[in-house]
Amino acid sequence: MALTQTRTETDSTTDSIQTSDSAARPALERVLSTSDHKTIGRMWIGAGAAFVLLALVLSTIASIELIDLGSVGLFEDEGQFVQAWSAGRTLLLFGGVIPVLIGLATYLTPLQVGASAIAFGRGAAGAFWTWLLATGILILAVVANGGPAGGSKDAVLLWILALGTMLVGFCWAFVCIATTILGARTIGMRLEHVPISTWSFLVFSLLGLLTLPILIGELGLAYADVSADYLSTKVDRQALLSILNSLSLAPALYWVGIPVLGMGLDVVATQSESRVRFHKPALALIGSLLVLSFGADILTFGGRGRAIEFDNAVLVLGVLAAVVPILLLLGMAADAVKNGKPATNTPLVAGMAAMALLAVGALVALLALIEPILEFVADASNSEIDVSSALRLADSSFHEGIRGLILGAVLLGIVSSVHHWGHKIWGRSLDDKLGMLSILLVSAGTIAWGGAYVISGMLEQPALPGIGVGPKDGVEVLNVLATIGFAVLGLGALVFLANLARTALGTGTTPEPWSGQSLEWTTSSPPSLGNFASAPVMESTSGMAVLSQPTPNKAEEA
Amino acid sequence: MTDITVFDALPETVAAPEASRPRLLVIGTALAAMAATMGMAGLLGIYVQSRAAVLAQGEIWLPKGVTIPLTQPNMMAITLVMSMVAMAWAVSAIRHDDRANTHIALSLCVVFGFAYLAQTGFLLEIMGMPAAGDELARPPLFYALIGAHMLIMAAAMLYVIVMGLRTLGGNYNAKDVEGIYGAALFWNVAVVLYLVVWYAIYITK
Repeated sequence: MALTQTRTETDSTTDSIQTSDSAARPALERVLSTSDHKTIGRMWIGAGAAFVLLALVLSTIASIELIDLGSVGLFEDEGQFVQAWSAGRTLLLFGGVIPVLIGLATYLTPLQVGASAIAFGRGAAGAFWTWLLATGILILAVVANGGPAGGSKDAVLLWILALGTMLVGFCWAFVCIATTILGARTIGMRLEHVPISTWSFLVFSLLGLLTLPILIGELGLAYADVSADYLSTKVDRQALLSILNSLSLAPALYWVGIPVLGMGLDVVATQSESRVRFHKPALALIGSLLVLSFGADILTFGGRGRAIEFDNAVLVLGVLAAVVPILLLLGMAADAVKNGKPATNTPLVAGMAAMALLAVGALVALLALIEPILEFVADASNSEIDVSSALRLADSSFHEGIRGLILGAVLLGIVSSVHHWGHKIWGRSLDDKLGMLSILLVSAGTIAWGGAYVISGMLEQPALPGIGVGPKDGVEVLNVLATIGFAVLGLGALVFLANLARTALGTGTTPEPWSGQSLEWTTSSPPSLGNFASAPVMESTSGMAVLSQPTPNKAEEA
Repeated sequence: MTDITVFDALPETVAAPEASRPRLLVIGTALAAMAATMGMAGLLGIYVQSRAAVLAQGEIWLPKGVTIPLTQPNMMAITLVMSMVAMAWAVSAIRHDDRANTHIALSLCVVFGFAYLAQTGFLLEIMGMPAAGDELARPPLFYALIGAHMLIMAAAMLYVIVMGLRTLGGNYNAKDVEGIYGAALFWNVAVVLYLVVWYAIYITK
């Protein structure tokens, strides 16, 4: 089967023959040569979760250094601190959060649209291996004194190349996911009928394909700059951080929150045994984030990673307007809970907490608009408003705090979704008590991390915290709080990873804990190769599964 | 298809597989082309913005001693426009199940692609743009932009070659033209991107 081919739908007998054929091969060979979206999805989730933990450990160590701003303690010099600090940030977003979301999308979208396989199965596998290899090289490059503020030119070039390759891997995966949703839906399922989580994966993928290539272009430019010695010193190379900041600022960062909103709605509705009453408006609201959190403005024309300023009106409007769909979607989730019989379990609690935290992050980000709006009013009315007394949050750690709140919300969303679909993915449920502990730790860590940096930003701590700038009243205490936040968040990630490993590596199956209304719930857990014994036919227009035939794989199980 | 042994082992009662879903390759190609366009648009945005900033200060954009001749860029534009015609020929030929003409047209496209790459290399050589040493850091921007388009063009050529080989293997015919459509889509986008680069860099300098 060629890279561009999609596995055809076949009779279940074919599946059993292929499964037995696969079982005869060594496990390593099966993993390396797989084009099954379920295996690929599991690999993305597992590797991504491990990198989340590594990123949080690195961030905690870097944060400890900030407790005493007057001297260098843990690290040899400021350059080494910047290395650890930026490596933690890079790995959390590009090594952890995005890969886990891609893993969930890779696993779930074919099932939710009733497809037998993901489009370009070997392409999807290629995307994973490309990303994994590049992430390994990225870590090696940092160890070899590369990365922003790296001392070795060759290692810095390697770091840029590895980061660019990681992004290429993401784009490759997005093409597979989006193509599956756009072109491989089952009979009778129109685009407006897809589950909300599938729709959010589509918007997530399209936005990734619209913004990440720009970042890749910037990295290409950075590569040329470093090669030609335009960024010749460690300090010069810190400019590379601005490329990483591009996706770390609101509203571009809301991009990673989009799947959390979609999955959150589906999870909350299922766990409340109800439905989202406004299916199409929910799709429209998530779709609006495609425009509102479009990050290209920050990435290029707005200057490299520049903070929010009012001469960049598109950015201001994006931050302002993105709050509306996020709040409305949270309201829809609350409505589903109110009209149903909510179960107090990890998926529901984490899902609601994730959406609420996302809304809090978006609302707090509005504070950054005070200064630019005052400037605009002063310019427009020729009045003498004293803008200097307003909050000056551009280039401060305030945006790092917003980043913390948003990424913490995404981590909670991941906890919710993995618990919700865990049985579908591994055939065994994740432990709910450990899940609740994860929620507690991740929420507490996120609030400490995000909240501390939001406040320290208001106290004018710079975006790239300096060590050796001298002690500053209040800021160091907040840095202690942020450090505790990182550590608690890391502990939460560790508990989650242990729970995940326990489930993934366990044996046997447990009874299906709940049953949803979209197509993935009509097949076995985990589904066999080909997902469905025959292509399901959708007769519902509400995005939920009303099949014209019984659920074949479940019937076989019975 | 590498799973021949598996299919040989199937019992006779097994139903024939359904036809693969249509248009997946075209949709995937359109998404990839969109991503390539955004990457080029980003670099072009930086280039145009940087140039405007330099010109606004009353300085000259191109470094001293660097000239951009128009002969080569114009010839490249004509070459690539001709390649679009060849690609249209390939699409038409495959729709009429004329594989001989399909292969001739696809081969011609690849030749035009090589001509473009060779001519770009020659242009860069005669332009005399320094690799480094320019205080306004213009060469990296220039080389990144041109290099990015050369990569896209190389990817398009690879795509055409693969689809040509698959046509040779009997994968595509009048009933299934998806692969050729996909290759044509990506090729045409790559050519249009060059035409934008041609105007933004070589014509307006």
